[in-house]
Amino acid sequence: MIEVLHPGIYSSIQDAGRLGSQSIGVPISGAMDRVAMQWANSLLNNPLDSAVLEMSFKGPKLKFHEATTIVLSGADMKPRLNEKKIANNHPVAIKEKDILHLGTAYHGCRTYMAVAGGIQSPLILGSRSQCRGITPDTIISKHKLISFNKTPFLQDKGARVHIAAPLENKKDIPVFKGPEFHLLSEVAKKQLLENRFTISMDNSRMAYVLKEKINVTLPSIWTAPVLPGTVQCTTGGVLIVLMRDAQTTGGYPRILQLSDQGLNLLAQKSTNDSFYFSITPLNE
Amino acid sequence: MKSKAPFRFFLIHPKVVILEWNLKPNQFLLSDLIAFKNKIISHFKDVIQVTQGYHSLMVFYKNEVSKETEEHLNSLYESLVQTSLKKTKLWKIPVLYNLEVGPDLKSLAQALQISPASLIEQHYSVIYQVQFIGFLPGFLYLNGLPKSIAYPRKTTPTPKVSRGSVGIGGEQTGIYPQESPGGWHIIGKTPYPLFQPTKKHPCFAKAGDRIEFYPITESEFTTISEGISAKTYKIIPQ
Repeated sequence: MIEVLHPGIYSSIQDAGRLGSQSIGVPISGAMDRVAMQWANSLLNNPLDSAVLEMSFKGPKLKFHEATTIVLSGADMKPRLNEKKIANNHPVAIKEKDILHLGTAYHGCRTYMAVAGGIQSPLILGSRSQCRGITPDTIISKHKLISFNKTPFLQDKGARVHIAAPLENKKDIPVFKGPEFHLLSEVAKKQLLENRFTISMDNSRMAYVLKEKINVTLPSIWTAPVLPGTVQCTTGGVLIVLMRDAQTTGGYPRILQLSDQGLNLLAQKSTNDSFYFSITPLNE
Repeated sequence: MKSKAPFRFFLIHPKVVILEWNLKPNQFLLSDLIAFKNKIISHFKDVIQVTQGYHSLMVFYKNEVSKETEEHLNSLYESLVQTSLKKTKLWKIPVLYNLEVGPDLKSLAQALQISPASLIEQHYSVIYQVQFIGFLPGFLYLNGLPKSIAYPRKTTPTPKVSRGSVGIGGEQTGIYPQESPGGWHIIGKTPYPLFQPTKKHPCFAKAGDRIEFYPITESEFTTISEGISAKTYKIIPQ
């Protein structure tokens, strides 16, 4: 068991999500940065999609009631174990009564904690991912207990990880053309693909609203399916990037679609971070 | 038999395809969409799921789609015999219509220049059809709202619309399956649980099913709510 002494700003249990229940309106959900989640699991020899704790902006304070091994990945929250610094991307042995304290996120905004054997919470529609309307709680809260599998961690000999350049430094977000891209004027297409865009305060696991608009007069469309990574354009030219907890259908034109990599990159960006859309051929 | 309307094939993601018909939503398109959706799921083993909109389908594949995918979908669509929705169910949903649970009942009736009683009666005297499910878990997109009680959405959404609220927004009517912000005019509330995530079938209705609302009193609302908690009340389709 892990006791939540302080939940942090927004911490939730996530895995690979609920792909398969979207025809009844269930969001896909799952870790915002799938690469970081899988990375942490791989370092523990866990199945890659084992449930992890996703911690955004400022991390929690946790007390372990059992020994285990953990890995932290993603943003650097300056983690301390019993007030001693520990590093991301390395298995860390945890003893009973140890206290893990995570601070403000640097080099990204989301940190993942994988536990040897994976976090165990109820499976609902095939996933442990916390999501509003699906799981009883949306985030972890003070005094809650998180259970995990008691699987001893067997470190591979010589398993040393060299992580590539931090993902969040990339300013180019790979995108494909969306089904309504062709409705845009040449001017609007140029703005979309050349201008820099900034994430507004209005950003969450459901969607990021961008600050800069594009010059369009687009009609709304017949409500149609959308995906995490779909970029919607409102009638007023406001861009909305749908994220992992997005609704399953929408009525705004879908002008771009982030690639999986683009979605993972954007997941580590937050308020006031800026980026460019970088078009990738897919549907020519 | 006239030949089927062709669809546009659009690859939105390496593993996801959109099929879109350049038609206004109508009864024939809906039955085609549902039949084609079911056929795709039963025919292709590498399809995870198919979701639906008013005039389109989204097909999710396990792996990246191949060059032949479009052709395979086209020939499957061609092989589809003319469809009609026969085995759809009719669900009768109890609704309490009053100002307490339907705070916009009076203002909407005023805006429509009819009495609240007439608004209520027009709302429950037609049969609606589920086009598809989306927006929120278990949210049914219904068509069939009488034009006489259609009214544009609120300019500013209400921050909290309670679970079970029945509303009108534009030419649509619907039920909020969970508490949510919303821009629809709320005229009543159903005690019926619209989405139960831990059940085998979390959502009772399917695309193509028909929905009829019937008015209940406050005491009936309480009785039904208690029956739902005690698991003695069941909504049975016809």
